[in-house]
Amino acid sequence: MIESVVQLRGITKTYRIGREITVNALRGVDLDIHPAEFVAIMGPSGSGKSTLMNVLGCLDVADGGTYVLAGEDVGKLSDNQLAGIRNKHVGFVFQTYNLLSRLNAIENVELPLVYGGDRHARRERALAALEQVGLGDRIHHRPSELSGGQQQRVAIARALLNDPSMILADEPTGNLDSRSSAEILSIFQRLNDLGKTVIMVTHEPDVAAHTKRIVRMRDGIIAHDDLVARPRRAEDEIAMGIGAAE
Amino acid sequence: MKLYDSFRSALQSLVVNKLRSALTMLGVIIGVAAVIAMVSVGNGASQSVQNTILNLGSNLVTVSPSFGNDNGLKGAGAQAQNLTLDDMRSIQDQLGASIAAAEAEQQAGRWQITAVGQNTNTSVTGVTEDYPIVRDWGLDSGAFFSTSDLNVNAQVAVLGATTATNLFGDVDPVGQTIQLRQAFGGGGQGGAAQRARILNFRVVGVLGVKGSTFGFIRDDQILVPLTTAEHVLTGRLNQVSQIVIKATSSDTMDVTTSDVSNILLQRHNIADPASADFTVTNQNDTLAALSSVTGTFTLLLGAIGGISLLVGGIGIMNIMLVSVNERTREIGIRKAVGARRGDILNQFLIEAIALTGFGGVIGILLGWAITLVVHQIPQAASIPLLITSGTVIIAVGVSVAIGVVFGLYPAMRAARLHPIQALRYE
Repeated sequence: MIESVVQLRGITKTYRIGREITVNALRGVDLDIHPAEFVAIMGPSGSGKSTLMNVLGCLDVADGGTYVLAGEDVGKLSDNQLAGIRNKHVGFVFQTYNLLSRLNAIENVELPLVYGGDRHARRERALAALEQVGLGDRIHHRPSELSGGQQQRVAIARALLNDPSMILADEPTGNLDSRSSAEILSIFQRLNDLGKTVIMVTHEPDVAAHTKRIVRMRDGIIAHDDLVARPRRAEDEIAMGIGAAE
Repeated sequence: MKLYDSFRSALQSLVVNKLRSALTMLGVIIGVAAVIAMVSVGNGASQSVQNTILNLGSNLVTVSPSFGNDNGLKGAGAQAQNLTLDDMRSIQDQLGASIAAAEAEQQAGRWQITAVGQNTNTSVTGVTEDYPIVRDWGLDSGAFFSTSDLNVNAQVAVLGATTATNLFGDVDPVGQTIQLRQAFGGGGQGGAAQRARILNFRVVGVLGVKGSTFGFIRDDQILVPLTTAEHVLTGRLNQVSQIVIKATSSDTMDVTTSDVSNILLQRHNIADPASADFTVTNQNDTLAALSSVTGTFTLLLGAIGGISLLVGGIGIMNIMLVSVNERTREIGIRKAVGARRGDILNQFLIEAIALTGFGGVIGILLGWAITLVVHQIPQAASIPLLITSGTVIIAVGVSVAIGVVFGLYPAMRAARLHPIQALRYE
C-alpha cells in the first residue's frame, strides 16, 4: 500500500465572528492525497476551500479530526513545530505571489533555507530551482522588476527549494493573463510529471481541467471527488498559441 | 535562522528606510551624547576639585587646635593654643620612618615688605624644615632653610614665586636682603605718630610656581623658620597653628591618623579622646566628602542625559511598532515558509538593537565633540577632559539595552502574529 501524503479524517473547523455568530467552515472532511497526485480543490466562496487549504498547509489547526501529513500527526503540534513542518513539507504558492519586495529573486528563493534545512548549498540550490522554472537569467532582479508571471515563477522556485512533500497553490493563476497562466500550469504539470504532489485551490474550471483529480467543496464538506479523464496539457495550448492569442 | 541572516535582514530594512532610521537614531544619538558630555564634564569637574586638594600636598594628615572648653561650656573657650613645635618633633621621633615627613606652621600675619626700591604686602608664615617635602613643593632657586636655622632663630626667608617677581623682577633674589615692616602705635593717617618695626631677612630660596587653591594665590607668600616667627615676628611662643604630617601612602593614612592622635593625647595628658584639645583631619576624608558632592553632581548631570536617552528609547519603540505593522505581510510570508516565533523575534529585536547600537556609537562621537567644544570655553578650560572607557562602555551598553527593552514589545507582537491573518493583511 502506498502511504498517503495527506490523510484527513473527520476534520472540523469552526470560526467565531464577533460574540454570537459561529461559522462551521469545515464539517467533517475525509481526504486522502497520494504521492504524485495533481489535485484541484474547487468550490464557491464560503464552501470552506480556503479553510481546508490553511489546514492542509499547517497554517491553521483543525478543531476536530486527525490530519496525518507525510506520516506525521500534525493535529497536536505547537506553533513552532508547525513552522518546522511548513518549512520541511509544504511549498506555498499564493495568488498574490507574496515575494519580499526588498529581496531579489534568488534571495526570495533562498528564504526557506534561511529557516531550516541544509544551509550550505543554499545559493546553488536556489539557482537550480530558478533554472527549473526558466528564470536562471533573472536572479538579481527585484520583484518590482519582474512581470506577474515571472514573480509567480520565483514563488514556485521558492516552494520547491526544500523539496517539500507537496506544493500547495492558492489560486496561483488568479492574477495572471491566460498566457502566463498557461506557463504556470505547464510548470506545475512538469513538476507533477517528475513526481511532485501538487494541490491547487481554484474556482476556474478551465484551470482545474489541467489537474488529474478535482475535489469539489460545498458547505464545509466534500461534495464531489472525481478523477479527470483526460487532463489538458498547458504545453500543448502554448504551442497552439491559445494563451498567446490574448 | 542564523544570526548572520538576522543581521543582514535588519541592516537591509534600516537601509531601505534611511530617513526614518536616521530620525529614529537621532533620539538615541542625542541621549547618548548628552550622557557622555554631561558625565565627562562632571567627572572633569570632580577631577579638577581633587587636583586642587592634592595641590596642597598629598597624603596629608593635619592637626589643628580645637576650640577648648571654658569651665564646662563646650566650644565657648577661645581656640586652644596648645600645639607646640615639641609636639611635632615628638611625632617625628616616635613615628620615624612610618611617616614620610612632618612640619609645623605658625601664621605670622601680613607684613609690608621692601627690597631694592620695590615693596609689597604679603603674608608671612613660620614653617619647619620639611615643609617642601610635606607640601610636594620644590624650590626654583636657592635652598630651603635647615634645622640649624631653626635652632638659632635665623632671619632667613624663602619667597613665593609671585612675591619674588614683585620684589626683584627678573633678578635672582637669593642672597638679597628684604625688610619686613609692621606699623604699630599711633593710629590714623598721621605718619609722624606711627612707629614701625623693621626687620632684615636674607633670602635663601624661591619656591616653584604652584598656582592657586580655592582662590588663594599660594605663590604670593613668604616662609620663615618657625622659631623665628615665634620669637622675632609674633612673640607667640609654643603656639603653632597647625602640624601637617605626610603619610607614606594613601593606604597608611588611617594608621598615621590614629598614631598621631595617640601621641598627642598622651603628651597632653588627655585620657578621653572625645575631649581632645586638637583635631586631626585626614586628607582622604576631605577628598571623600568632596567627591561625594561632585559624584552627586555628576549623577544629576547623567540623569538629565538619561532622560533624553529614555525619550529616544520610546521613539525606537514607536518606530518599531510602525515597522511591525507595515511589514505584517512579510512576517506572514516568513512564517509560511517556516520561520519560528524566535526567528521573527530575533529579526525585529536585532533591528532595534542595530538602531540603538549605531545611534550609541554616533552619540559617543558627538558627545566627545561636545566635550571638546565645552573645553574651548575659557571658564571651563581648566576642567580636564574625562571620557573614560567606563563611560563609553556604559553608554554603548545602555543604548543596546534600550534597544532590547524598547524593541522587545514590538518584536513580541510581530512574533505572535498568526500566519493567516498576517498573510491576509493589506
